[in-house]
Amino acid sequence: MATITLPAHLDSLTRGLTLVVECAIAAGFPHARITEIELAVEEALANICLYAYPDSSGEVEVRCVRDETQHFLIELIDTGVPFDLLARPAPDLTVDPTQRQPGGLGIPLILALMDHVTYYREGDRNILRLAVRLSL
Amino acid sequence: MELQTQDIANVLLIRVEGRIDHTTAKHFQDLLLPQLNSCSGEAKKALLDLSGVHYMSSAGLRVLVLAARQCQQQQGEIVLAALPPLLQEVFRISRFDLVFKVFATVRAALEHLSPTAASAYSGA
Repeated sequence: MATITLPAHLDSLTRGLTLVVECAIAAGFPHARITEIELAVEEALANICLYAYPDSSGEVEVRCVRDETQHFLIELIDTGVPFDLLARPAPDLTVDPTQRQPGGLGIPLILALMDHVTYYREGDRNILRLAVRLSL
Repeated sequence: MELQTQDIANVLLIRVEGRIDHTTAKHFQDLLLPQLNSCSGEAKKALLDLSGVHYMSSAGLRVLVLAARQCQQQQGEIVLAALPPLLQEVFRISRFDLVFKVFATVRAALEHLSPTAASAYSGA
């Protein structure tokens, strides 16, 4: 459907999100769902930009695909350090946020807003796939 | 994104406008936290009107946590009002709605914070 490769830097967020939003519009999602998709992708993309390449610069590829099982897929691919966000311990959201360690809120948002999230490591690549059911 | 402030009796009303994401959150933080320096006890309470924020990611939530911490340290109170639907959803997922005092309208928040400020307020 569409692909863009960007420097893994927060300055790239807007370009990556613009592509995803354009593809989500083309896929026919309503406005509110598009904003949820944008938010989940921002969280995942920001994680990569901030943490995938701790000692060097690198790139992230953003791919939007419509699959044959009626899902809109957003794939984020980087060659940074292995990072399986699904294996991360969830923050204890029952603790007062002012007493928690800062951060960690992006992953619960991704998991809550997306219909399926999968991660796999293929060679030196992290592949994070966010899937959103298309309304029929 | 931008802030507008208004003193209403002993309440500092801070209206936030715009999008708060990982690229704008630092700007939001730099604008917001200095405004809260006066937030202390009964003398000055803070009210964030978020009706103009239609997008906030976890980067914005982090700034709200910093704001709440600052007010706690100053023995001050900060409450939030008028969250658009996406923010309500983000708060529900993050459980922020259980910790922050969130009101449906600015007026409802003012009535909680200060009857004097509520009676002096002309908006909704």
